[in-house]
Amino acid sequence: MSNKANAPKLIINGKRIDGRDFNQLRPIKITAGILKNADGSALLKWGNNIVLAAVFGPQKAISKHFADPTKAIIKCRYSMAPFSSKGEHSRSGPNRRAIEISKVTKEVFENIIFVNDFPGSEINIFIEILQSDGGTRAAGITAAAVALANAGIHMKDIVYAVSVGKVGDELLLDLNMIEDNYSDCDMPMAISPRNGELLLLQMDGDIKQDEIKRAISMAQEAGKTISKIQQDSLLEIYKNVDKQIGVNGV
Amino acid sequence: MRNIILPGMLAPNEIEKTENVYIENNKIYSKVVGLYDDEKKTIIQLEGNWIPKIDESVVGIITSSKGNVYEVELFFFGRGLLISNKYDNIRFNVGDVISASVKDVEDYKTVILWNPKALRGGTIIQVKATKVPRIVGRSNTMVEQIAQLTACNIVVGTNGIIWLRGDAISVATEAIRKIENEAHTTGLTERIKVMLEEEMLKLNSIKQ
Amino acid sequence: MVFKMGVFEDVKGNYVKELLAKGVRENNRGMFDFRKIYITKDFIPQAEGSSIVNIGDTKVLVGVKMQIGEPMADNPTDGNLIVSAELLPLAHAEFESGPPSPESIELARVVDRGIRAANSIDLSKLFIESNKVWEIYCDIYVLNYDGNLFDAGTLAVMTALKNTKMPKYEDGKAIYEERNIPLPINSTVVSTTFGKIKDKIIIDPNIHEETALDARLTIANDGKIIRAMQKGLSGSISSKELDDMANISINKYAELNNAINNAVKEE
Repeated sequence: MSNKANAPKLIINGKRIDGRDFNQLRPIKITAGILKNADGSALLKWGNNIVLAAVFGPQKAISKHFADPTKAIIKCRYSMAPFSSKGEHSRSGPNRRAIEISKVTKEVFENIIFVNDFPGSEINIFIEILQSDGGTRAAGITAAAVALANAGIHMKDIVYAVSVGKVGDELLLDLNMIEDNYSDCDMPMAISPRNGELLLLQMDGDIKQDEIKRAISMAQEAGKTISKIQQDSLLEIYKNVDKQIGVNGV
Repeated sequence: MRNIILPGMLAPNEIEKTENVYIENNKIYSKVVGLYDDEKKTIIQLEGNWIPKIDESVVGIITSSKGNVYEVELFFFGRGLLISNKYDNIRFNVGDVISASVKDVEDYKTVILWNPKALRGGTIIQVKATKVPRIVGRSNTMVEQIAQLTACNIVVGTNGIIWLRGDAISVATEAIRKIENEAHTTGLTERIKVMLEEEMLKLNSIKQ
Repeated sequence: MVFKMGVFEDVKGNYVKELLAKGVRENNRGMFDFRKIYITKDFIPQAEGSSIVNIGDTKVLVGVKMQIGEPMADNPTDGNLIVSAELLPLAHAEFESGPPSPESIELARVVDRGIRAANSIDLSKLFIESNKVWEIYCDIYVLNYDGNLFDAGTLAVMTALKNTKMPKYEDGKAIYEERNIPLPINSTVVSTTFGKIKDKIIIDPNIHEETALDARLTIANDGKIIRAMQKGLSGSISSKELDDMANISINKYAELNNAINNAVKEE
């Protein structure tokens, strides 16, 4: 929520600055299984966001001290590339924001992974934001869920995430960077598609209780589209047997 | 009919309740990316690391030895232990590649091995453990075909480590990678045969 | 670069040695053949320049960012080139998150050295006004590790620099919405990394070969002149061997330079 005085007009003639409707997602494309060494991986392009997620595990716990003999421990690193944003170069390495996002993301996956199936092990989730344009934590969770499925980790569900924000009296789905900077509220959510329950919920700004309900419904509705894209990316691997992984693009 | 099933997808009610499914509110869901086999009523996991089971045969590397107790790297999240007895009549060194059978599994993660055999020379490759059944083939047909056409010795561990020795390891490896990528398809044995014959011709023409 | 790779790589390393003793490499690769090189550009459109380089299964991403900064005290009229490298933990199970490792610092410095020594970028043209110059940040992101990061890193940085578009400069600020001026490029530098195992010399070592190396030598050249070298590991090399490697390095220039130019040209 920066400097409202300089705020550009975010809604013009019932459309958003990038021409989207209020409840319209940006285009999303996911390619699963693109890294050789990782046990599972996914490259996600979501609007201008580019996210690479990879999973190693279940593997031997690196530190015996932190290992739990009854279940797998989950580690998560969300990190932003120094060339990821428009404008200036940023410092590399996780800052306080990245460490917080890593923590809440880890908690999402602790809910849906059957940790007791892999006692004494650890599962590492790496999320690299290669290009950012708002909504990177949602994009990161959505990509990581595909990477986990691709790694064969036992899971209840393929979780998806998306944010809903508010500009004036309107709720907007999937804020981009400019909308996020000048909106009245931003509420990222991660949701289990099989029961619609919230696994990640953050909010800052200004929102009424009935708007929260509507925002969740908007996210759940968008989730049908996101889930379909996640599923298709996993099915794609088994479709074209002659396709050489890694030749196109990445 | 064989369909691909994904984590969180509803599975048919009559499905066999293996470790690949879970039950919530009387409904059965898949935990994994798998192949749903309509006839066998089961989900075959397509991705994932090895989970040990008794009687499986594995390939591993000796990482330490103390008297007759060896620790064996089996490339999964737990550890392998081999306690050799007088019948084994063999000593191993750290770094040796061996094949062995799983005698017991303690707490999912400590694998007790027996019937060790040394695998000398050659090399090892790693494949996804879930693809091993296709690489071996029905009653060993696939792996025997590769071994025969490439004149390689091949030992496939269910833990995803494969030992190979011979002059055409590169061709055998290429065939194994192809099976790994196409494990979910049909007609694979024939395609692999054609590929192996072509590649062996190429290899032999280089040598001459 | 040699990492502690564990027992799997030890067994592979022994096999590599056994093959080399017979004069053969894995997959029947020639002693001085690179693996398949595949380069793309513009993977990160928001960056001023970017590229992805694949050498076999090694995959490296480079993003270039430009911004206005102060010149170095000893070069007050030159722009700044800053090369960094991250061995991302997703690139290999043995890579860990945390502060830069000696390996990642060596990678960045060796890539930087070749490009700087050859004056590939005319840094004097990046002077703006007193105490204001353009800074070029090149970040090497290793996405998948299968050996020879030096050559992949140099190819990726060079490709990204050649497809970098500078922001417009206006009223003391960089206008990132308007980017169309290419960087002042004098020459293209490539690097070639050799490995020595016993008395055998190979180029472009993969991960298994790297674990078996006695010595390693990276030679950067601009097609005519050797511009930078870095020897690694504890083994030694003779002056005859160095001479041979230098010749091969110059001979490899055309192949590597073409790979860069084809990627840069592509629409």
